[in-house]
Amino acid sequence: MMLLPCPWCGPRNAGEFKYAGEGGARPDPATTTPEEWRRYLYFHANTRGWVTESWYHGAGCRRWLVVERHTLTHEVREVRDAVQVAREGAR
Amino acid sequence: MSDTAAPLARSPIAPSPATVLDGWEVSARAATGASTLSDETPLAKVLVRAPFDGAGREALGVGFGRTLRTDLGSGAVLLVGSAPGEWLALGAPGTAPALRTALEERLAGTGELTSVLDLTHGRALVRLQGPAATAVLAGVCAIDLADTVTPDGTALRTSVAAVVTDVVRDDVAGVRSYLLHCERSSGQYLWDALLDAGSRSAVEVTGFRGLGSGGTAR
Repeated sequence: MMLLPCPWCGPRNAGEFKYAGEGGARPDPATTTPEEWRRYLYFHANTRGWVTESWYHGAGCRRWLVVERHTLTHEVREVRDAVQVAREGAR
Repeated sequence: MSDTAAPLARSPIAPSPATVLDGWEVSARAATGASTLSDETPLAKVLVRAPFDGAGREALGVGFGRTLRTDLGSGAVLLVGSAPGEWLALGAPGTAPALRTALEERLAGTGELTSVLDLTHGRALVRLQGPAATAVLAGVCAIDLADTVTPDGTALRTSVAAVVTDVVRDDVAGVRSYLLHCERSSGQYLWDALLDAGSRSAVEVTGFRGLGSGGTAR
């Protein structure tokens, strides 16, 4: 069983979460090209190592989370609320 | 054919045998055992959404993960901090409109974007109570139910028998008791799953209990 330490709910079974893929900066819809959109939506690096990912805690706090996870060992280094991350990025 | 009969509200959990209480069809059973499962769906259920760290939280008096027994002018209410920025208010059957109004008035002065929604007929609510309650619940959910982790007055949302459920520990007169709140369409399944898990612990079905007396602020 894989545990994810939700910053709101504490450690929970990964089955309570939905994996939403690798995180990354969203291109500006006003200026991006269709090719860039395709790359953003469908192309992933699939890194073996530390990856920043988006997860949704659908069976818990219903918050989007930014998770730093090692894809080989499943070790989780940091989990933060995505809203908090976005607020810090906007400053 | 007469069209003047009062409407009868029905829980998603089929009662057997049935009787009518406050306009709701409820179970007429009276359990004799110590551990019981009761359908509490007739309780008024009002959902509040507001910023999790704003003035709304202060106005409601309870944060995420805890419960508070209070009176908002519509009778006894159990306020549950069910998620970040989300509260569930439970009141006596038939008090949902008054409870919604009372909550709207309380939040009106915060100046925040809030919403208050009556979910009474859209959700199912059951109470698992008695000495076997913890063992039965532990069989269908992965939460640590020890007193040190989830004491009386704890609220959390998790997967119970694969159903997203608000779990509220609401002991009654010192007896372990859990309120389990889920979508209406999952109510009968959750009920059956709990009865199945409780079959070895002699969990019995009993009639509507209501909020009970409980404590005060926790």
